[in-house]
Amino acid sequence: MSSSKRIAKELSDLERDPPTSCSAGPVGDDLYHWQASIMGPADSPYAGGVFFLSIHFPTDYPFKPPKISFTTKIYHPNINANGNICLDILKDQWSPALTLSKVLLSICSLLTDANPDDPLVPEIAHIYKTDRSKYEATAREWTKKYAV
Amino acid sequence: MEIDGNTLVFIIVILFLFFSTPGGDGVSSQYEFNQLQRFKQQFQTEHDVFLNMTHTDNFRNITGFKLSYQDMLNNPLQNATYPLPGKGYDRWLPNQNYMVLPNEVIDTINSQVWNTSNGNTLNIFPPNITSTLLGKINVVSNSKYEKIRMPIPRFYEPANDFSEDIPPEGETYWSDWPSYGELHNVTFQHGEIAIQITHMNNLQNSNNYFRRNFINKESDRWKLLNLQIDFSDKTEKEKHSISSKAVYDIQRGRILSISQSSKFHSLFALPHYMSLQDDYDKEIFNDVKQLVDEFWNFTDYTDVMTMNDVQDAYDSANLKCEYMTFLQLEPWNQYTKDQIKLIDDELNWPLGRPVNLSSLPPINVVSGLLYSPDCGLRLAINDVKGKRYELKIMSIRTHLMFGIVLFAAQIYLLLTQMHHTNTPSMVNKISFYCFSMINLVDGSLATLYFVAASVVPELYLPLVISAFSCFILASIFEIRYLISIYASQVNEQNVGIANLLRGSTGIYDENRPRPAFIPDEGSIGGSLYGRFFFTLIIFTFLILSSISWPRQLRMIFEYILIFILNSYWIPQIFRNAVKGIPSRRERTRATNGGNRNQNKMPLLWSFVIGTTIIRSLPVIYVFTYSSNVFRHHKDVRFVVFLSLWLLFQISVLYSQDILGSRWFLPQHTIPEGYSYFKPLSNQYIVEHGGGTVENTVDCAICMSDVPIYIEEIPETHKVDQHTYMVTPCNHVFHTSCLENWMSYKLQCPVCRSPLPPL
Repeated sequence: MSSSKRIAKELSDLERDPPTSCSAGPVGDDLYHWQASIMGPADSPYAGGVFFLSIHFPTDYPFKPPKISFTTKIYHPNINANGNICLDILKDQWSPALTLSKVLLSICSLLTDANPDDPLVPEIAHIYKTDRSKYEATAREWTKKYAV
Repeated sequence: MEIDGNTLVFIIVILFLFFSTPGGDGVSSQYEFNQLQRFKQQFQTEHDVFLNMTHTDNFRNITGFKLSYQDMLNNPLQNATYPLPGKGYDRWLPNQNYMVLPNEVIDTINSQVWNTSNGNTLNIFPPNITSTLLGKINVVSNSKYEKIRMPIPRFYEPANDFSEDIPPEGETYWSDWPSYGELHNVTFQHGEIAIQITHMNNLQNSNNYFRRNFINKESDRWKLLNLQIDFSDKTEKEKHSISSKAVYDIQRGRILSISQSSKFHSLFALPHYMSLQDDYDKEIFNDVKQLVDEFWNFTDYTDVMTMNDVQDAYDSANLKCEYMTFLQLEPWNQYTKDQIKLIDDELNWPLGRPVNLSSLPPINVVSGLLYSPDCGLRLAINDVKGKRYELKIMSIRTHLMFGIVLFAAQIYLLLTQMHHTNTPSMVNKISFYCFSMINLVDGSLATLYFVAASVVPELYLPLVISAFSCFILASIFEIRYLISIYASQVNEQNVGIANLLRGSTGIYDENRPRPAFIPDEGSIGGSLYGRFFFTLIIFTFLILSSISWPRQLRMIFEYILIFILNSYWIPQIFRNAVKGIPSRRERTRATNGGNRNQNKMPLLWSFVIGTTIIRSLPVIYVFTYSSNVFRHHKDVRFVVFLSLWLLFQISVLYSQDILGSRWFLPQHTIPEGYSYFKPLSNQYIVEHGGGTVENTVDCAICMSDVPIYIEEIPETHKVDQHTYMVTPCNHVFHTSCLENWMSYKLQCPVCRSPLPPL
């Protein structure tokens, strides 16, 4: 199957040239189910935390985007309590030229720069826009509580 | 919610307006109150006179009947005052000395209209005749007869200024009015008439809801009807309409209807005019008098009168002639009374009784005469007939059911068509306008059904089901398909037709990266739904308003509209030509050559043929079947023309399938379409970077090498150029990889530029 070939290729690329702030790999023998971890970016309230994500590749990958969700709780306007991520490239802006490492990098930058105008959790987005210091304090607190 | 001062004031104003609107009788001033009182009082007094009247009494001071035809002949400027000096009020005979009808008309009625059943009580007439009858009307004379002067009591006049408290006394004559003569006279010779008959059985008593049905003690002998008579010339430039009460003599099949207004209180004249024979019948007079009185008591005639009645009576006295209508029905002698009762029951509550409803004869008016005493008009009607209302409703119901079957078939065809074009490349070849037209017809049909459902309560259920199935077809399936068509063609907007013919959807300039704006289907759906409902509302209003246009204009509008809306394959023919689908032979060759076949015809033949048949069946029915339920005129020539036009469209589509979709375009006008298979130069690898092996590039989809054909390097010439594809934005992919992706989206995976469809 072409999808497993491409996933294997991505895995070998990741092993050969791992990105600095994240890592990813299959869970057990199943090539379609991966786990990844992201270090909280230094210039964000998530600094110092390690966030785990679960990744499911569809069988028609790379024509359909992988399903990625946070398993670590995180306080972020675009990530809800179930860990679902609101990111356009994971939905209708997906392109087969994207790779998992590029997607993980996008998630990293989403942690640094949230997108409160297209929120998944409107309450957090509201606080983010009106009271940034409160948002940062809560995010730091959650990071300390769940991700360290 | 906070309530501030302004809101409070607003609420108080609204409440004030709500509570200060005139009550049930519509009176809004002291003047109107007095008017209404006078109006009621007048009817009350005349009713008292009516109660004392016997069959040998003349009319006394009943409005409109104070003068007889002979009085007018004696003195044309006679004032209608009571009592008239020298006039005998204790005598009545059915001739022009006592009636408002000239002897000539009375004779005609006796000899030609109400003649069939004289002295013959064996004839049987249906007691229930609710129906709409259609036929022809001819003007016999509009100047020969003397016009009876009928004054309008002056208290009817609306108040001239605010200070007026008491309505004026006295009477005015129509000759004072400038509008007279323009609206009254019937100027055409031959026209068409529609008589709508409804029974007054279901009169609702506003005071007593338990007494629903009008109590008519001799309902097997006499019936009160409501008659709505509309007649016009054939072009419908001049229209006349009479709405009146009528008495139906079931034993003799006679109908007498007299219009009523503020100058003609005809309710009290019904007993006298029901019998015009020389052997003037006391029984008939008393029966009809009793019927009228029962009606009066049941409806609390004067108690329920409102300001509206005053104004209506004044307006119709002002604008319309009064008409007396004499109709003779054809007997149903082939049935016995019991059979007719059985038929009636079956029509009202269909339980499958053993009656043959399809052979039921129409309600047929053998002869009829209309006479207007105040305008001196005499009209004759002939060949007026129509089906029983219930039968008509039943046949419309079966038609509607058939229509629902057609909708279901259309939905099925559309689903197979949607399945056929399941990739963006295929949907791209479908014409947006073709389906817009189909969608517009279905959508407006749905709204028209909804409108009809509110007008015809008997057909509420079948109409709503039709409207609903139509609405599902239009706003779920067709709009869904339109959204995907629109989404696949959004890149082609602002692209010239020549570029489209070339198969490219824009200029690909390496130095000027195009913004990759492709709206998602959600936002397209939103805007398309908005457009759909907007056009629908405009279109429906246009159709509904066209009903009231003059016939000439309406017919032109109808023909043009039907012609345009039946040209739905034309946009697809153009679309095929633009997209350049190769001929069938070439397509077969391409399939045999192992190439993945994207070059199917975009429309399924079953869909084209099926849709054409489904959509032309109703039109053919309406235009060729002369007794169709919609009362539409017959025009076979137009249907033939329309069928030929549709056939022409289908044959062009078929020729495009066989010969290629551009066969009718001259060779030189067809630019070369975009080819995904092109050789690359060495320069390309230098600029874009190669793959892991020499003379290859990296395919971004499967992330493996693509061997490419480079003209300068002979070693690469063994590479088959069909194994890779080069996008207009100069990105290289494996053919299978890119084709696979293009079935999801027509967008370059690397730079998000739009891709021309395959």
